[in-house]
Amino acid sequence: MVRTFLIYMALLLVGIIFFASMILFAIPALQESAFVLPGVSQTRTDDGNAESQRVSLDKEVQKLQVKLDKFTPTNAYIIVNTSDNHFFLYKGKQLIRDGKCSTGKNERLTFSNSKKEYVFHTPQGVMHVQSKQPDPVWTKPDWAFLEDGLPIPPPGDASRYEKGTLGKYKLVLGDGYMIHGTIYKRFMGQNVTHGCIRLLDDDLEVVYKTMEVGSKVYIY
Amino acid sequence: MMKDNSAESFDSLFVKKRNGLKIFIILFFLILLAIIAVYTYLTIGAVRERMEKAKMKVEGAAPVNASLIDLMKDKAWIESRLKMASSDSIGLSIDLEQHLIQLELKGVVVMSSKIRESSISGFFKRMDGNVYFDMFGSPLTIQRFESSIEKNPLRVVQAPKDTIAAAAAVAIKKDSLQDKSVYWTVKLDHDIELNIQGIDSISEAKSKYKLGKGFEFKRDVKNILNSFQQIKKLKKPNYTPEILISIPENEAKSILRALPRNASVTIRI
Repeated sequence: MVRTFLIYMALLLVGIIFFASMILFAIPALQESAFVLPGVSQTRTDDGNAESQRVSLDKEVQKLQVKLDKFTPTNAYIIVNTSDNHFFLYKGKQLIRDGKCSTGKNERLTFSNSKKEYVFHTPQGVMHVQSKQPDPVWTKPDWAFLEDGLPIPPPGDASRYEKGTLGKYKLVLGDGYMIHGTIYKRFMGQNVTHGCIRLLDDDLEVVYKTMEVGSKVYIY
Repeated sequence: MMKDNSAESFDSLFVKKRNGLKIFIILFFLILLAIIAVYTYLTIGAVRERMEKAKMKVEGAAPVNASLIDLMKDKAWIESRLKMASSDSIGLSIDLEQHLIQLELKGVVVMSSKIRESSISGFFKRMDGNVYFDMFGSPLTIQRFESSIEKNPLRVVQAPKDTIAAAAAVAIKKDSLQDKSVYWTVKLDHDIELNIQGIDSISEAKSKYKLGKGFEFKRDVKNILNSFQQIKKLKKPNYTPEILISIPENEAKSILRALPRNASVTIRI
C-alpha cells in the first residue's frame, strides 16, 4: 500500500518536473527555433547591377568612416572614467598614458538650518581645458567651510587661500571643475573629490605638459 | 466472521481510493499536457505575429540584395553612429559581429569592451534585410531602464560632518558592490530588449544561473509569469526579441553608470 502510494507520488513529482522543464527550457528554445520562423523570405540574389552597386556602396562606407574618424581629436585629449576612477591620455588614436585618478564623491551636502545644498559629483560629457597654471593656490569656496561647520569668511580673506593642496599644476575646465594634484594620495582610485579630477604627481605632469588650452576632456 | 468482513471492506476501500488516486494522476497529467499545449501554441503564435507585424511595416520596399547585405549593414552602422555623434550625450554602440560594446561621446569611443558571450533571439536571425534596416538603420532610444544596482547613487550627508561619519563614508566608498551581481536591462524602440550582465568568467555565469541568482534565471521566470498572466486573460503573450550580452563586471557597471536614461543605442548584428 505504501509502495503504491510512493509510486503515485513519484509520478506526480515527475509530472511537475516535466512541466517545469517544458515551460522553463523547452518552449523558450522552441520559440527561438527555425521551426517557428522559417528562413528569410524577401532576399534577392540575382541582381545584374550587384557589382556596380557593391563598388559604390564600398566608396560610401569609406567616406562615412572618414567622416566618423574626424570626430576623434588629432591633438591631445583625456578620457576619464568616473566609475573606475581611471584616466586615459591620448594623442589622436595613440594612448600616451593611463593611470588612477579620483573623481566626484556623488554626495549631496545638506544643512539642518538652511535649505542650501551642494552636490559633489564630476559631470559627464565633454569639457575643454580653459586655462593651465603651475603652482596653483586653492581659493576655498563656501562649501569647504560649511562642510567643516566653520563660519564663511568674507571674499579675499586670507583663510580662503591654500597653497599646495592642488599639487604642482592645475588645468581649469570651467564651472569650478579642475584637473589637479593632491595631498591625499591614499584616496587615489576612489570617488572622494568635490567634483574635480585629481591625479598623482607624475601623471599630472605628463597631462599638464601634453594637454593644451582648448584640449578636450571626455568624462563618463 | 466480523474480522473477515472488516478486512474485506478495508481492502475494497483501499482499492477505491487507489482507483481515485490513479484517476487523479491521469487527470493531473492530462491537465499539464493541455496547459503545455496551449502555452506552446500561444507563445509560438506570438513570435509569428511579431514577425508579421515587422514585415508589414516594410511592405512595398524593394527586396534587399543578399550579396550586398553586409556592405549595407556596414553603411547603416556607420550612419547610425554618425547620427549618435551629433548628440551631446553619451551613446552605446554594440557590434555583435566584432564582439564589441562601446561608449561613444561626440563620435569618440571613450570606452570599449570585448563581449565575452552574446545571444540573440531567433527573431533577429530570421528577419530579412528590410526588417533589419527598419530596426537598426538609426539609433534606438532607451525607453525603460532596470538594473540590479543603483544607477546613480547619491549619498545625502548633513553638514558639518563629524570625523566618524566621514571615516565610515570612505570605507563604504571602497567597494559596496562586491557581492552583488551586476546586470541591467533596457527596453529599446521597436520593443527590443537589451540585457547586459557582468560576468568575470563563463563558468561563473553558468553557476549563477544554476543557483537561480543570475540574471537569466530571474528574467525567464518573470517572462513565464507574464505570459501566464496574458494567457489567463485568453490573450497571446507578448513576445519581445532580446539581445543578451555578457561583459566583465566592472565594465558593465561603468557603462550602466555612464549611460543616460534615454540614451541612444546603435546595434549591428
